[in-house]
Amino acid sequence: MMISGGGGKSSWSSSTSSWVPTTSVSASGKRIQREMVELNNDPPPDCSAGPKGDNLYHWIATIIGTPGTPYQGGIFFLDIKFPSDYPFKPPQVVFKTRIYHCNVDPDGLVSMGILKDDWSPALTITKVLLAVRSIFTNPDHYNAVVPGIAHLYSGDRAKHDGIAAEWTVRFAK
Amino acid sequence: MYRSSNIVARVFNRQICTPPPGTSVHHARCFYENLVPSYTIYEVECPDHSFRKFTDDGQYLISFSRNYQELIIYRPRWLSFSCKDEDCDKHDLPSRAKRFDSFFTQLYCVPLASCNELICKDFFLYLESQQFGLFATSTAQIHDAPAVGGAVHGVPSIEKITFHLLRLEDGEILDKKVFCNDFVNLTHNTGVFLYDDLLAIVSLRYQTIHVLQIRDAGNLVDVRAIGEFCREDDELFLNSNAQGMAFSDKIKQHQFPGNHIENHMHQGQTNPENSFLSGIKQRLLSFIFQGLWNEERDETSRIQGLRKKFYFHFQDYVDLIIWKVQFLDRHHLLIKFGSVDGGVSRNADHHPAFVAVYNMDTTEIVSFYQNSADELYLLFEQFCDHFHATSRNLMYMNFISSHSNNIHAREQLRSIKDKASNPSQFVKKMLASLPFSCQSQSPSPYFDQSLFRFDDKLISATDRHRQSTDHPIKFISRRRPGSLKFKIKPGPEAGSMDGRAKKISSFLFHPILPLALSVQQTLFLQPSVVNIHFRR
Repeated sequence: MMISGGGGKSSWSSSTSSWVPTTSVSASGKRIQREMVELNNDPPPDCSAGPKGDNLYHWIATIIGTPGTPYQGGIFFLDIKFPSDYPFKPPQVVFKTRIYHCNVDPDGLVSMGILKDDWSPALTITKVLLAVRSIFTNPDHYNAVVPGIAHLYSGDRAKHDGIAAEWTVRFAK
Repeated sequence: MYRSSNIVARVFNRQICTPPPGTSVHHARCFYENLVPSYTIYEVECPDHSFRKFTDDGQYLISFSRNYQELIIYRPRWLSFSCKDEDCDKHDLPSRAKRFDSFFTQLYCVPLASCNELICKDFFLYLESQQFGLFATSTAQIHDAPAVGGAVHGVPSIEKITFHLLRLEDGEILDKKVFCNDFVNLTHNTGVFLYDDLLAIVSLRYQTIHVLQIRDAGNLVDVRAIGEFCREDDELFLNSNAQGMAFSDKIKQHQFPGNHIENHMHQGQTNPENSFLSGIKQRLLSFIFQGLWNEERDETSRIQGLRKKFYFHFQDYVDLIIWKVQFLDRHHLLIKFGSVDGGVSRNADHHPAFVAVYNMDTTEIVSFYQNSADELYLLFEQFCDHFHATSRNLMYMNFISSHSNNIHAREQLRSIKDKASNPSQFVKKMLASLPFSCQSQSPSPYFDQSLFRFDDKLISATDRHRQSTDHPIKFISRRRPGSLKFKIKPGPEAGSMDGRAKKISSFLFHPILPLALSVQQTLFLQPSVVNIHFRR
């Protein structure tokens, strides 16, 4: 249905994603494949994900803004990059859709404990998606990457929610 | 009902019969069968200009000087001469009457381009309600321009493109709009569309649809820019919020430069690999995603479907660029998306492409089709006139033949469709004309396919240069299939000396009068041969 090829935008600056042949039967590849099956069989609510093109190590995920939060109605696209030594290193999760959130840095990088020091090889992509979805409902304003938004969240929740909802309408529809 | 093609019988008939309701204009137009540009003055002595077109109201003939620096405007008028004898029709025209200036009066000549700029000879738009003309001048095209500041890689660059808004009545330049280091496809008005007073200009290089309004006073006013952002104040909103967010040092590095308002088409993140989706892309991807999400109720098959149809092609969708835009009405744009390779090349038929209907006010994508979609083709076949959303203030503009309003054009389309060996290839070929180019069709009644039949490979309402033969082009009556009404022969009367030389012709038909110009050029640098065709 779609075009083959496309542009030449494939040189990723991230140090973790050195090119890995997709046909390799490396442990990380097997693990990602298994997680894909798991995700397909039991997808978390309002979430979906899949490899971008034929690169198993580079996924795109979509989270539908949770109803009852200022992110309601938004469609948020995320870029997920698995390191070659996955699952021993956490994947990198970046919002491709602009979002007003204290745990998402101005470049869209999601900053969460489980994606950094608290990562455990027992975690899976399904759990990561659920964790990202949970910060829509409960932002972790104690470990914020954007303190301004966190201050507003703890100080003036209504104003924070208003701005976040406006961002959703403008940039995430 | 008694029908004669005799003009006297028709005039009598007009007196005694009332045409069926709603067909009075059709009946009046039948008189064009009797009034045809059948007389040709060959090789008219005329100034060596490049003749562009008659304006759609027939008030002006637009031409450019050969060096494409000046604009010369003529007023078409009818020739007049006196004759001593009783039956002057028998005489040949006096030589004075045969000259170009007995048909056209020069109104003025305006220099438009400065030394290193040229007038784009294929570009001209006419705002009929105000009698304003829009012209473009540009500097030379740089093909291997580096993609800086958010520009799309692989799109050429032009140092300076200027749009000039002129009052055609007196040639006064009312306003200008300049695009620097940008690329707008100006051939055959491709990159610019005028609807009423709204103008959409597609910057291919910066992937932005600039919507401007032409005010009655003659100003070009920016209304909105669609691309990186969707609403006109999105960027302002983002920046004012970024100020509020600027607590950490990291954010400060990412603030936009202070002059972003003037510089709005050159913004773009420093690191394009990690940048956010542009406003229009977010809308597009979210529309496609929601369509696939809602298509399937079962969760497992839904995520499988998304994986195959959406995530696998995600980068291809992201890499799509805006090729061409047209207005469907004051709120809706028909946007064509395709790969970078197809946006610049002339023959874009074999490149995959998509069209989307976008509502500028709600910033929503209303629908999205691939260019091989049968559903879109059916819409195109049945409602073609809805895509021809141009100025409809003049009534005769509604009579431009299309396969949706003309049975003969439809039959022709059907027969091509039946003959087509590959239906999907046929659909693609037909849909390649969408979005339509603005003001590309002549409203002349001689192209009305309910009145005349002609070979549309040699001549048609579409404003294009065509390869010409030494044979005259025949216009045959639709009503009486055997009856040849008139012939149009471009080039010298005796045919050209060198029969093998490739000849290119263009035809300029007056929208109302039985008057046409044919301009024939050989590929060598000879002056063009201009013939005037009119009813004597």
